[in-house]
Formats: sequence, structure tokens, C-alpha cells
Amino acid sequence: MSEKGNADRGVSENCLTIENFSITLGDFKAENLNLKVNAGEYCIIIGPTGAGKTILLETIAGIHRLKTGRIYLHGRDITDMPPELRGIGIVYQDYMLFPHMTIGDNIAFGLKQRGVSREERVRKTAEIANKLGIGHLLGRYPQTLSGGEKQRAAIARAVILRPKVLLLDEPLSALDNTTRESLRRELKKLHNEMHTTIIHITHHFEDIYSLADRVVVMREGSIIQCGSVDEVVRKPDSRFIADFTGMENVFSGICTPAGNEAAEIDIDGLKIYAVSERIGDVNVGIRPEELIISKEKLTSSARNSVRGEVIKITDNGIFSKIAVAEEISGTVFTAALTKQSIESMNIGIGDTVYLTFKATAVHVF
Amino acid sequence: MTIRTKHHFSLFKLFCTGTALAAVLGLIVIFSGMVLYPSFNDLIDCLLSEEIRFAITLSMVTALISTFLCAVIAIPAAYSMTRFDFFGKEAANILLNLPLSLPPLVAGIALLIFFSPVLSPFGSFLASIGINIVYTSAAIVIAQFFVNTPYMIRSLRSSFAMVNPRYEHTARTLGCSEWNTFVQVTLPMAKSGLIAGIVITWSKAMGEFGAVLMFAGAIAMKTETLPMALFINMTTGDIEKSVAAAIILLVISAVVLVVVEHFGKDKGVEYV
Repeated sequence: MSEKGNADRGVSENCLTIENFSITLGDFKAENLNLKVNAGEYCIIIGPTGAGKTILLETIAGIHRLKTGRIYLHGRDITDMPPELRGIGIVYQDYMLFPHMTIGDNIAFGLKQRGVSREERVRKTAEIANKLGIGHLLGRYPQTLSGGEKQRAAIARAVILRPKVLLLDEPLSALDNTTRESLRRELKKLHNEMHTTIIHITHHFEDIYSLADRVVVMREGSIIQCGSVDEVVRKPDSRFIADFTGMENVFSGICTPAGNEAAEIDIDGLKIYAVSERIGDVNVGIRPEELIISKEKLTSSARNSVRGEVIKITDNGIFSKIAVAEEISGTVFTAALTKQSIESMNIGIGDTVYLTFKATAVHVF
Repeated sequence: MTIRTKHHFSLFKLFCTGTALAAVLGLIVIFSGMVLYPSFNDLIDCLLSEEIRFAITLSMVTALISTFLCAVIAIPAAYSMTRFDFFGKEAANILLNLPLSLPPLVAGIALLIFFSPVLSPFGSFLASIGINIVYTSAAIVIAQFFVNTPYMIRSLRSSFAMVNPRYEHTARTLGCSEWNTFVQVTLPMAKSGLIAGIVITWSKAMGEFGAVLMFAGAIAMKTETLPMALFINMTTGDIEKSVAAAIILLVISAVVLVVVEHFGKDKGVEYV
């Protein structure tokens, strides 16, 4: 992930600084939260429902007032500045397109508030709409559009003002898989072209890998971890983060088509099969429960079978996790098994075992 | 859309449906009885009589003014009660709901005492600068306004509550001030509910009786609104004129029902 990070873009200027942020809203409470986001950075926030992610975003936008603490944007104190003067855009999961306006008027809304001339509004609206592939929808009303189209319009409406920070609150969550995938690529493209600082809340694991320069993990009103994708996902500070991301077997590899919708992925010399049309650098994830562990090689319809040595067994209550180092590449797989199965199979550290899993269990992203 | 399932014969279903139909039939019979009571020519004569025309005009004008005043107060008040937290909001909520269950007669006598030149300091102050409210058409407007404002606040609150505040948040981040957001986003989005609320308030004002009777009196050709015309002519035995006034009120109710039904449906637009 580091190759697309800040070092590459040469940006390290501080964009947004949140200091000692405390807020109370109804039942929700956040205390002493600190966060720094660099200019041009793509920052992803994850955390369970009720962690205060949306409230943090809305407070950055200026919707809620802080109890204590300061917010700085490019060194300027914006704590008491009303939202309309901050130059921070927000896009919600459920689009929030104004239903009484056409898509064109929705996208041009911000320009109109700034007194931009009609011709200029029309020109800029068409430009951004075409870029996002919704140029043909400008005369339509939001309720006639699909979810993906609506979200493109909502993103267009925010980025047309070239915000200093773009806040995305689960922008892809309401969409189906295919649409989510394509819109995710679109976001990445936009970010690369516009170099806008983005703070994006998500529940989707893939967003982190495809988009993030930095990951912030929140729980119950505090930030419990903040760092690069590698740091947060591969070296999670707490069980919570590991559980939250859910997918313990995450590896980087090179994907080549192997015909019939199948793909061969090379992970440091280990070749596994997946169902994907991707080519080139990819990440793969396999949930621990998808791995079938055995002492003898299984004959099954599952396409992947790897051999390795048990290096660690951790007891997690009902399930135990078995770490297996694959013999060619040293890749460490983690499988989940019940205690009883481990006992009945008589597996111990140092044993050689086989891991079998289906090509469809390999999640490519 | 309701899903109707096919039932086998059921005595229970027959009983319930029969009761519903009987209730509707009762309404139709009773109201047609009233509408058909006067002969057609008498009815036309009454409708065109100077007294009824006066009552129509007075009701229309006072109801329009009082509804306008209601809206001026109710729109910001309802918005504030939907969106903001302020000290005493709970108490305000209860107090604003009180007139809904209170008989308008009580509101009427309270107004009468408050504005009376003899009974209250405020009334005598008004009298000292030459303003007399009690038993005038101004009293009609005030009575309608006083009784209907809490009702309108309540009705508009639910319209504003239908608008997800995130629309407003989004508008603010797009450079819109609070005032402009209200005018450009909130009001248009709550439009259907606002229109329905305003139309209902207007029709309630047209029909306001108790508070108007106490505060403005039932003075023929002076404070004679449609309900007063109905009442005055009933007491003098002029039933045709009473019925004429009643029919106009009935027609207004029917029209309001249609309008509210039309705007209440939101035409399939999801705003939340």
C-alpha cells in the first residue's frame, strides 16, 4: 500500500487537525479525540455502528458544535466557522439529492450559492457529470435514478466546488456489488486527479485495500488505532480490529487469467486459484472458516490445496485458530476449528497439514 | 397498497364490514336529508341573500387573515420544535397541545377577559388609545388565530420531521446559509405537508364557533360568520338560511378533504 501513499505524491502538508475533540449529542459522547490528516491523503474510518464516525464527520463539516477542542484546516482555526464557509463537502450513504430539483440543478446547487453565472454553471456541471458518466441524466429528477447514478450525482455535487476536504459517509454501502466496485474505481480516479483530501467511512473491507492511505479505527467515541493499511489490518492493535476486518488471510499477489473465469494468483511463489477477471497486482482474502484442515491430502472438488507446518494454535473460546506456514512461500494461513476437531484430529505444533479451499472462497480485491 | 386476501364466508367479517357500510350510509342519509330539506328555489334565494353573502365574505376574509397569521407563527415555531433543543421545550410542547383538547369556548372566554376594556389592564389600555377588539371582526380573527395556531404548529411539525436533516446539512456544506437552506431546501421539501396544514387550518377557521361566539359575539351582519349565521337563523326559526350556511360549510369541508388527500400523498416522492 505504501507505494501509492504520501511519499509518492510528495505531500506531507497537514490539512486537517483535530485537537482534544469532545462532544456530547444525545446519548453519544466522544472525549479527547485527536486526529491529523495530511493534505491529499485518503483516510478511511472504520468502526462498529455507534462508534461516532458520522458525528465526527458532521462535526468536521461544521454541523455539530464541539464541547471542547479545536479543529484546524490548513492551519486555520475553523472551530466556530459555519459549514457554508468551511469549504468541506459531504456525501452521505443515502445520497441526499434534493428531490425537488433536477440532477443538473442538484450538481450546480453549490455554484449557484456562490453566485457563479448561469453559463459557467451549465459548463461546469456538464463537465463533472460527463466525467462521472451521468451527463445524460442532468434533466432527470433524483427519484428516477438508480442507486449508483444517484451516488455519482451526489459525489459530483460535492466535488464540483473543489472542497478542501471531502467527507464520505459510507458512500458505497447502499449499492450492489458490481456498482460498488465501479464506483470505488471512480473514487480512486477522482482522488488521483483532484488530490482532494478525503475522509471516508466504510464497513467494507475492500475499500480499505483499494483506497486508503491511512486507516482510522473508532469505537465508542474514541480512536483506537490510526495508521497505514498494513499497520491496522495486518498488525491490528486489538482483537476488535481483527474481528472487524474478519478476514485474517490477506495476501498480496499477482493475478493472471487461467481461463474459464478462473485466475491464478502468485503469492511469493505459492500459486492459488480464484474466480476473478482481474489481471496484475491484487490482494486476496480468505476467511479462516473457509479453510479445511487435514493431515492427509484431501481429494475434493476444491481447487486449492497447500501443505504447511502448524506454527501456532490459539484458543479463542469455542473456536481455536491454527496458524499454518505454507512450505514454499512461508505464507502464514490461519484456519478456524472447534477445539473438539483439533483434539480428534490430534493436531499439534510442528505437524504437517494440508489446507484445502475452494477457488470461490478466495476473495480477490 | 393493501393486500386483500380471499376469505371464506365469515360471520365476523360480515359483521365488521356491515357496520362500516352502515356508518357510511348513515352519513349519506343524514347529510342528504339536510341538503334536500329546503326546496331548490328557497335554497338559491338563501344562498344569494344579503345575510348569507355577508357571512361568506366575512368568514373567507377572517379565515384568510387568521390562517396567514397562524402560518407566520407556526412555520418558525414548528421548525424550531422539530430541529432544535431549547430550554423549556418539553413544557412548551405540553402547553401547545393543551388547546387541542380544550373546548374553544374556554379559549373564547379567556380572550374575552384579556381584551375586555373593563376586566383587564391590557383591554383598558387598548381602550384608552381608542382600540376596541371585543365583539368586532378583529375579535373573529384573533379567536380563530388563537385556537388554530397550536393545531397548525402540530401539523407543520410532522411535515418538517419528514425532511431528513441531512438534506439541510448537505446544503450547508454546499455553501448555503441557514436562512437560504430553509427557503431553498426545507420549505420546498415540506411543501405538501405545509399546504395540507394551511388548507386544514383555513377550513377550521371558517368553521370556528365556540371561541368566536364568546369573543366576537353573534351579532347579525356584524360578526356573523357562516357558523354564526347558522346559529342566529336557527334561534330565529329561519331554518332555510341555517341550512344554506350549513351546506356551504359542508362543501368547503369536502373540497378541503380532496385537496388534503391530493397533497397528503406526496406523489410517491421519498423525502426521508
